[in-house]
Amino acid sequence: MLIQSILIIAFGGAFLTYILGKASSALRDFLAVLISVSLTVLIFLAYGKTGEIAFASFMNLPLVLRINHLSWFFAIAIQTVTTLSVIFSLSYMKGKERVDFYYLMMLLCNSAMLGIVLSGDFVSFYIFWEIMSWSAFLLISYNRGGALYAGMKYIVMSIIGSMCMLIGIMSLYSTYGTLNIREIHDLISTASGEYLLFISILFLAAFGVKSALWPIHVWLPPAHSEAPSPFSAVLSSILIKMGIYGFVLILYVISGAALYLGLGGGSFRYILTLLAAITIIIPTFNALMQDDAKRLLAWSSIAQIGYIILGISIGTSLGLIGGLFHFFNHVAFKALLFLAVGAIEYRTGTRDLNSLGGLIKKMPVTFIAVLAGTFGLIGIPLTNGFVSKWLIYKTLILNNHPFLAFAALVGTWGTILYSYKLIHNIFLGQLPENLEHTKPAPASMKLPFIILSVVIVLFGILPGIPLKLINLITASLGFDLLNINIWGIASESGPLNIINIFAAFAVALIVVWFFFLISGKKVVISQDNSYAAGIDVPKGKYHYTVDFYNPMFRMIKPYFRDYMDEFYSQLVKALASLSDRVRRLYCGDLGVYVIYIVLFLSILVISKIGLNLW
Amino acid sequence: MDFLNNYIFYIGAFGLIFIGLYILLTRKNLIKLIIGLSIVDTGVNLLIICMGYLKNGTAPIFSRKGLNPETMVDPTPQALVLTSIVIGVAVLAMALSLAIRLYQHYGTLDMRKIKEQKW
Amino acid sequence: MVNPILLIIAPLSAAFIIPLMGYGLKRIVKFIPPLVMGFNLVVSLSLAPKVIKNPIIVFLGGFPPPFGINLYVGPLGILFSCVISLVGFIVSIYALNYIKQGAEQKYHALYLLLLTGATGIVLTGDIFNLFVFYEILCISSYALVGYTGEKAGIESASKYLIQGSLGSSLILIAIALLYGKFGTLNMADMASRIDSVHTMELFFPLVLFITGMGVESAIFPLNAWLPDAHSSAPSTISAILSGIAIKIGIYALCRVIFTIFGATDILQFLMLLGLVTLLVGEFSAFSQDNIKRMLAYSSTGQIGLIVFAMGVGTQYGISGGLFQFTTHALSKSLLFLTTGYMIYRAGSMKISALEGMGKKMPLTSVAFTIGAFSLIGLPPFIGFPSKFMIVYSVLARQSGLYIVFLALVLAGTVIEGAYFFKVIQAIYFKGERKDDRAKEAPLSALIPVIILVLLIIGIGIYPKVLTSILDSSAAELLDRIGYIKEALK
Repeated sequence: MLIQSILIIAFGGAFLTYILGKASSALRDFLAVLISVSLTVLIFLAYGKTGEIAFASFMNLPLVLRINHLSWFFAIAIQTVTTLSVIFSLSYMKGKERVDFYYLMMLLCNSAMLGIVLSGDFVSFYIFWEIMSWSAFLLISYNRGGALYAGMKYIVMSIIGSMCMLIGIMSLYSTYGTLNIREIHDLISTASGEYLLFISILFLAAFGVKSALWPIHVWLPPAHSEAPSPFSAVLSSILIKMGIYGFVLILYVISGAALYLGLGGGSFRYILTLLAAITIIIPTFNALMQDDAKRLLAWSSIAQIGYIILGISIGTSLGLIGGLFHFFNHVAFKALLFLAVGAIEYRTGTRDLNSLGGLIKKMPVTFIAVLAGTFGLIGIPLTNGFVSKWLIYKTLILNNHPFLAFAALVGTWGTILYSYKLIHNIFLGQLPENLEHTKPAPASMKLPFIILSVVIVLFGILPGIPLKLINLITASLGFDLLNINIWGIASESGPLNIINIFAAFAVALIVVWFFFLISGKKVVISQDNSYAAGIDVPKGKYHYTVDFYNPMFRMIKPYFRDYMDEFYSQLVKALASLSDRVRRLYCGDLGVYVIYIVLFLSILVISKIGLNLW
Repeated sequence: MDFLNNYIFYIGAFGLIFIGLYILLTRKNLIKLIIGLSIVDTGVNLLIICMGYLKNGTAPIFSRKGLNPETMVDPTPQALVLTSIVIGVAVLAMALSLAIRLYQHYGTLDMRKIKEQKW
Repeated sequence: MVNPILLIIAPLSAAFIIPLMGYGLKRIVKFIPPLVMGFNLVVSLSLAPKVIKNPIIVFLGGFPPPFGINLYVGPLGILFSCVISLVGFIVSIYALNYIKQGAEQKYHALYLLLLTGATGIVLTGDIFNLFVFYEILCISSYALVGYTGEKAGIESASKYLIQGSLGSSLILIAIALLYGKFGTLNMADMASRIDSVHTMELFFPLVLFITGMGVESAIFPLNAWLPDAHSSAPSTISAILSGIAIKIGIYALCRVIFTIFGATDILQFLMLLGLVTLLVGEFSAFSQDNIKRMLAYSSTGQIGLIVFAMGVGTQYGISGGLFQFTTHALSKSLLFLTTGYMIYRAGSMKISALEGMGKKMPLTSVAFTIGAFSLIGLPPFIGFPSKFMIVYSVLARQSGLYIVFLALVLAGTVIEGAYFFKVIQAIYFKGERKDDRAKEAPLSALIPVIILVLLIIGIGIYPKVLTSILDSSAAELLDRIGYIKEALK
């Protein structure tokens, strides 16, 4: 009953918000927040529940809702981010056009995502999946201009993905006569290897598009950067994670680890890990080259997805835990970063990294938030990102994948570089004159910052809280239970103890501090000194952030063009010209049309008389 | 000559149909096309009539004495042909009225030149 | 019990009364089509539950077949007649205010004649009778396409007429040949004597039927008239032509192939035809900048999908095809109706002229979006269950070739999605509209649009309302022996 009421409130609330918005905008904002918060509470209450319930039927197929640890874990992440984004939107969306529509689509997308993780059969899964796709499309296109192209790219790729999924689902149905996920899991062990491979590839395409796996990631950068910022947060932190949920679903819930590892003689897993590694490396360096803050974060999202898939695809308990935990962490810090960039855009009107700078004094809370977010992103100890990356590295090393581990490491180096670029170009350096009067972020924006920062640090210090739940999830997927305590993992396969790390960290800090003390008196040099070289400080801008990392770019730029994107653009161009040629068949000349008819008839007759085809 | 004797109607009917088709395929003037259609129509009507034709047949009137049912002509095709002729007339009238309007708009009936609706 | 013959007589007689009324009662003429179609809708719906159990056979001349003409009111016929009268009803409400120019009574009379023809085709059990109704349908649609007398309309109508009449002549040849062979015109009687199409004598009529009916049902490459006619007719006519007329061609084709000839071995060819039609249609629509032409090409694509589904030839596939027919009838008429007033307000058929309509005509734009989503097959709209059925039926055949076909069909869907989404973006997110000429469509146009939207969402969420009639319709097409038995009882 609880699950149904969650979905009913979610969907009903979305439409109610829209209708109410026609009457009063204050009431609408209030209702949107109320619905999101009450959904969060409801989902919290559902913790630990497991169950399955058939709520309707569609074409003689029962539509099933089910809840278990896995779906709860995803649901709470979804709902938290949406709630925070809605709160953030209160001031962000003020005074923009079509705000009713914005809230409707935001909440609808949220409801659909909740539906996806709560559905217990593939029909309702697909239905919710498509609702999510088109509502997201409408919101991505919301900003006009470049957003139209972004939305188009998104929806076309997303339809291709869902068509693959539709074939996969229907093929399962025609083979097993049921679409209930649990029943399919029971039946699938009888499937032949080739069939399983066929299904897995179809689902790989479907979920790969949504989670932006390389080489089908090209929709993501424009979509994430062009969408309204609160929705970018939703897109990046949870919508693409629906693909991750799909991967877990198809690889572990449906197939199970044993079948997955043996898929195509192990080559499926091999290719998946390889794709994940590529997904880490290439987008990381693409992110480095971006000057648009949101585009940088978008590319970084792809790279982080690579980590998550890498963790999941290895197929061990530790890897899965690492992947799922990294999913959760990425939700936290990427939502935080997108919202923070949104706040900066809201206050300064730009997100171009070359024209920002020095905002640390103007927007201190936002700075702290971005700092926490980037620390998490890089994986600095005592943030949650460290724990999950640790687990993924550990998995890769324990399972003898040195190259994959190296790829992950290279990715982290790149992450450090672009994170520094992000934080430096926005907050450090000289404040441009036109930003002198920037106000700090409004309270409704600060609230999400604080909550998410706390989450990042809290789960970095006490990773046992989420790990306990994730451990239960992996156990329900057929893995052994690991010994989790509040500080980390105590089992022999992957010891992780935050206390030790904390101690090491503290020791290192003390040592640094010590050297700092004995190194003598500090000399205060004002920032102007180095630039002015002894002459008077020039007026205007002298601290340039343009061409950050320029020497490095000169080296890597030729190798890190988005070749896939260019390839797809060429493909679309070719298709468009083909379509233009096809329609010239209808040339307007009646005589030709008559010839078509007579030709058709004679071909049919000849096929009988001459070729005897029938 | 037996073949010709037996099949002359069919040959005639299909001959007309093919003549009509030939006109449709080769001529460009709308009026000629309409004539072609009309010839095809006539051919088809003839074909239907042939289907019920009997050599030396009689009218299918059972009430009259001395008529053998074996030699009666099948009446159904004649009913069909009547209907089909009516339809043909309707189409012809429609086509001609359209042709008049078309000429008013374009000043020509050459279908090669009337190609505004395309692609 | 209501006599199903009323379904034909009512619109036919109304069509002849309308010109007479033109002398004194000009103002009420336009209310007759909704009235008649509403009546037809009620009759069809009330007949439906009975017909699903047992088909109703009506002897028109009073004597039984094979000598008399009979009506065979089976589930398939009643399904089509329901959809015809539903769409006819909705479109005629829309036409109340929309049709203002030109000869109003002629429009309404022809409109009813067209629907008479359509209803007659789906209910009759006699092949020549079918031909007659077919001609009624065709001639009235030629006239309706050109009825405004505008340049584009006249040109399209003339081209349509030449192609359409050529097609009809081919059908008539086929009928003549069949009559010559069997001496009967009753479809059931004919069917009972045909057991194989492999002889030339039977194959030739079959091919003639396919070509002739293919012209009206717009199968590639016989569909060259369609984009012209649909785009240059008034929107109500486009809606009816797209929603009803071409589907009737499909009905006739299926009747001939499945019931009369039982030609199951050409089904794969039918599938291929459907596939090619689909791809050509979607490709041609992709690079259109004229919205109505785009919709017309999209109709071709959808026809391809329906034919494809029919070609699967299983119970589930045919149900899916019939479901897709319903989907397309509702969605495409919705699309044509919504664009009707958008074009009227914008003064141009260019997609770029519709930019910014989302703000000026919010309800119409939402309706357009829903229609487009439904046609692409997105849940929770009616297009989803039908696509679901088609995909399932193809995969249930468990053949590699069919999966390749299916992949191509779905690729067509992706293209369709692309161009529809482009229009939706243009309507909502592109350009600013400064002029105030554009305002919401009048109530008489909104009501039919809203009815269609509700139907699209309602059936999309609860497709079960249709399953029983779809299943028995598919069974009727597949069960040739049963049809013969019922009709010649």
